[in-house]
Amino acid sequence: MTHTRPLNRLLMIALLIICTIWLVIPFGMAVLWSLVDPAEPWTAERLLPPVMSFHRWEYMWTNSSLKSALFNSYTLAPCAAVLTLLLSIPTAYALGRIQFPGRETMKLVALLPLVVPAFVTAIFFTSLLYQMGLTQSRFAAILLAHAVITMPYAIRIMTVSFEQVRQDHINAARDMGASAVSRWKVAYLPALKPGILATLLIVFIQSIEEFAIAFIVGSPNFTTIPTLLYSSLGQDFVRPNAAVLSLILVVPNVVLMLFLERLLKSANPAMSSGKG
Amino acid sequence: MTLGRWLQVILLLIPGIGLVVFFMGAVVYIAIAQSFGLYNLAGESGFSFEFWTDVTERKVYWRSIRYSLYIGLISAFVSVALAYPLALWLRKPFPGSFTVSAILKAPLLVHGLVAAFLFINVIAYHGLFNQLMQGLGIWDEPRRLQNDRHAFGVLILQAWKNMPFALLLLTGAVQAISDDVLNAARDMGAGAFARFRRIIAPLSVSAMQAALVIIFINALADFTFQTIVGPTNRQSLAQYMVFFRDSGRWHEAAVVGVTLMGLSIVGAVLLSLLTHMVFGKRRAR
Repeated sequence: MTHTRPLNRLLMIALLIICTIWLVIPFGMAVLWSLVDPAEPWTAERLLPPVMSFHRWEYMWTNSSLKSALFNSYTLAPCAAVLTLLLSIPTAYALGRIQFPGRETMKLVALLPLVVPAFVTAIFFTSLLYQMGLTQSRFAAILLAHAVITMPYAIRIMTVSFEQVRQDHINAARDMGASAVSRWKVAYLPALKPGILATLLIVFIQSIEEFAIAFIVGSPNFTTIPTLLYSSLGQDFVRPNAAVLSLILVVPNVVLMLFLERLLKSANPAMSSGKG
Repeated sequence: MTLGRWLQVILLLIPGIGLVVFFMGAVVYIAIAQSFGLYNLAGESGFSFEFWTDVTERKVYWRSIRYSLYIGLISAFVSVALAYPLALWLRKPFPGSFTVSAILKAPLLVHGLVAAFLFINVIAYHGLFNQLMQGLGIWDEPRRLQNDRHAFGVLILQAWKNMPFALLLLTGAVQAISDDVLNAARDMGAGAFARFRRIIAPLSVSAMQAALVIIFINALADFTFQTIVGPTNRQSLAQYMVFFRDSGRWHEAAVVGVTLMGLSIVGAVLLSLLTHMVFGKRRAR
């Protein structure tokens, strides 16, 4: 034990140095680049930008398709979250509460969208839309595709939640004459609540971050934050503008992910459904 | 189970798994059918090997396969190789281990496009890395590092993004190994490498397989890292497929898409078999 403590301390110091290079410097530079004022460029010989302002943020807000990308992303994501949750609940109920032959196989089949490469799904889903003549609503098409590709997460989380609903709570509610709706309210809902929130959050984050389908199905008119960022990293690469978009994409998601982690850690369906 | 119960199960499965099977099945079917000339979007359809022959005769197709396999395999092995020592270090909690673990897993929260942008900032011609190398007197003048011909930039980004994922899977697996087993091996004179090879790796082989396979599939089908920081004279399979689609050549895109799916499956199976052969057998002894 005495040997391991100094070793751990040494490793910690080494790791903190690596993490500074790994996270602090790259993100610090992104923040600085987003604040570079166009009046005076940030040249290589200067450690910090000579003039800093929010000009780039204002410029991106008024002169790029940022507003529509934000609107699209933040409309699509909650719709995808609610749709995926609603579609996953019946399946998760069957997988979590009913014993039937082939249940484990069905759980594996639900993972299918995770093993097909995203760009293959995106391109041939577009092909399918063309074949069926359904190209009028890009929003609806991307929404459907997002619901499918995030379904494995929703089914998995909700199946575990349904498995943890206690049968004695359901029986007690039934014995006391509770109707189906009341049984759902008192026995199921408290146990499912953390799973429902986790599903909504994870699908929301996945949908906001999804690039391949939004890029292929949505192009050229329907932009989301990732597709806008991708186009800003291409031929029209302007570093400060890309920095603004990067921060807009990453900061809300990091906050939501940290919230999700706390939620998953605190989630104990046995406790929340009453006596543990 | 009664017929009524079966009917109930099927009806319950339809909105979730039914939708997944229908959607993914349709996508895979369309890809395979289009690769053989069916479902033509711009003219007559008809079963034909023409597109397979045409695409497989191109050198760039084979170069894309070699390049994507190179990215997929190296990314998977490097990510897992970096994650193992860290998972072993974090096996037992110590003061600060939670913070260390959180910092190491932070890239999981960062979008790949943002990671690529952060990386090109650091390696830019007048960027921090070039300035550091010049400041240390190692380089006389700045070097162009973006889009390097060996795709080191892509591999660094893949490892940055995927190592935390491998760490997540491996930490759980190595934490499940009992101290008694490791202490017994140490008492019998096994060194650190022997303990890893004969005990730790065989007992965490399932997590290793899962990490290798998932990272391999993701990196094999990489598009964003390749188009932003990858070599300009190489194309990944996903990039090649998008190139065909953008020029309206759906059948050729389908050939590349089916190749990508085939390589994902074959690669995943081979990686699983390889890890099982190398480490799984030892467990049986």
